[in-house]
Amino acid sequence: MWRFAWRNILTRPTRTFLALIGLSIPILGVVGLFSLSNGLRMLVGNTLNQIQGVIVLRNNAPSPVFSDIPADLPDKIRSIPGVKIVSPEIWGISPPIENTSLIARTLNNLGDQQKRMQSFLDTPVVTGQDTITHAKITTSVYRKALLPAAENGGRYLNETDRGSKNVVLSKKFANQFKNSDNSPKKPGDKVKIGNEQFNVIGIYHTNSMLLDGVIVMDIETARRVLNRPNGLSDVYVEMNDPVKSDEVAQLIEKSFPDFDARSMNEFQNSFGNLMGQLDRVLGLTVSLALAVGVVGIVNTMLMSTLERIAEFGILRTNGWSQNHVLGLVTLESAYMGLIAGVMGCGLALVGVNIANQFLSGGLQLVVTPYLLFLGMILSVVTGTLGGLYPAWKAARLAPMEAIRFGHR
Amino acid sequence: MSMIETHDVTKSYRSGEGVMEILHGVSLSIPAGQCAFIVGPSGSGKSTLLHLIGAMDQPTKGRVVIDGQDLTKMTEPQKDLFRRDKIGIIFQAFNLVGNLTALENVLVPFLPRGITPELRDRAKAMLTKVGLGHRLTHRPIQMSGGEQQRVAIARALVKNPQVVLADEPTGQLDTRTGEDVFRILRELQRELGTTLVVVTHDRRFIQPQDLVLEIEDGLLKK
Repeated sequence: MWRFAWRNILTRPTRTFLALIGLSIPILGVVGLFSLSNGLRMLVGNTLNQIQGVIVLRNNAPSPVFSDIPADLPDKIRSIPGVKIVSPEIWGISPPIENTSLIARTLNNLGDQQKRMQSFLDTPVVTGQDTITHAKITTSVYRKALLPAAENGGRYLNETDRGSKNVVLSKKFANQFKNSDNSPKKPGDKVKIGNEQFNVIGIYHTNSMLLDGVIVMDIETARRVLNRPNGLSDVYVEMNDPVKSDEVAQLIEKSFPDFDARSMNEFQNSFGNLMGQLDRVLGLTVSLALAVGVVGIVNTMLMSTLERIAEFGILRTNGWSQNHVLGLVTLESAYMGLIAGVMGCGLALVGVNIANQFLSGGLQLVVTPYLLFLGMILSVVTGTLGGLYPAWKAARLAPMEAIRFGHR
Repeated sequence: MSMIETHDVTKSYRSGEGVMEILHGVSLSIPAGQCAFIVGPSGSGKSTLLHLIGAMDQPTKGRVVIDGQDLTKMTEPQKDLFRRDKIGIIFQAFNLVGNLTALENVLVPFLPRGITPELRDRAKAMLTKVGLGHRLTHRPIQMSGGEQQRVAIARALVKNPQVVLADEPTGQLDTRTGEDVFRILRELQRELGTTLVVVTHDRRFIQPQDLVLEIEDGLLKK
């Protein structure tokens, strides 16, 4: 019966192939979209793992760039039990670097799709750190990410850089804003930010597109570059006991209700919830695509069963039961689901591998065995469901009725 | 002892908004091992009667009893089993499955339960008996009408049924091929001791010892 069912779906290869395309594309969508979701989870997880302190922002500010806190808040936070170091920061969108604004870079990269996409993702941001307090932080993301001496990573900002024109660039920006001789920026080179020339003293690389778009400088220098003479964007808080970061964050929020103290656990949870919602939206989207795939299978199997209705009558006259006919047609559609699953998952694997060649900044599409298993199961279930109605239609006729109907 | 009995069998079909009665109370009895011919003009109800005997259709009224079992009291799954175990059917249009080889077509009744080597050997032997031992792997489209009908005969007889029903088995064959096919059918019927019921309007194949049942306008004449 298995071989018989297999042969039946090969009888009309073109029609079968078209139905398979119809079902394999939604499966490709399922695997592709969820591999993106996996990739985003991994990227954000890796990013957040590099940040171990608590960040205090204005309530509802989506990121430090859009936050504004009073200058006296760091001193107040220092008095909270469990707090070890409080380091104020300011953040802002960078002025044009090397006379290249976001619009100019985007226009310049119009011919290159990868660069065009990255132009938007890589909007440079300037952060000004209080070099005196920041030097005491043991969990500083950018300091830890400084390239080793062997790779000419230079040095990080310290107390001596107060008010200086020294900056630490990401490796990405070092490559993006090259010197006039087309060599990447390195410690000792100059970089023009806005109308001022700055000294590059260090190069870092976090391998996260969410962190590598930042130019680090002293807070007083950043105030001038960002034209922000007063106030702060956020404070970075390091705890005596990193395990108690959630507790300290709650204490800060309780003491200063207008501000949001976000531990990385909280970020992880918020992001997890966001991704959960995204997964539901993706699930809904692919469900619609799968529904279209089911319609394709139903249509193919209906046409196939109508064409072969006499054959089912013949099988019945030879002792096949209704359940046998039902099983045969369902098996055929399950086979189609299986093949579509293999096609969809195969295409997704190829597509993801190609896409990963063009993605950078730590974002990689991730296809897990579970995702492939899910794709296969969805495809087989969808294919089987699509065959149930045609199978029922084929099985319910009395043998002679089916033969007469089929020979009309 | 009767193998086949019908008692006052009536069969009606819906036709448009009305009802058309094809059989008007047919009662007959066919002994076991007999070769019986149901003859009559086209549209007289011969094939309908054959289908009722083969549990392939349900009478509107009356009873059909095969080997002591009342078909009209059977459920659909019981009828499936009955057809599988006791009835072999041969159609005018051969009705082979196009995707399957000659051997696989003969094995069709056993496909859902799985094919054992013993069944395969039995099917090969049956095809050899009908003269197709060299055509086992050919598909219907690669065979002539006479060969296809011989495959159908092998399929009907491979399960050693108690009753073989043949609905115009030579209707689509030329005279000589028809004679060949009928000769094979009759030889196998004698060899296996099967009860054979043939619907035909071709009286050439009737022999003196055969039972002839003549139907006209849905009524049994003789």
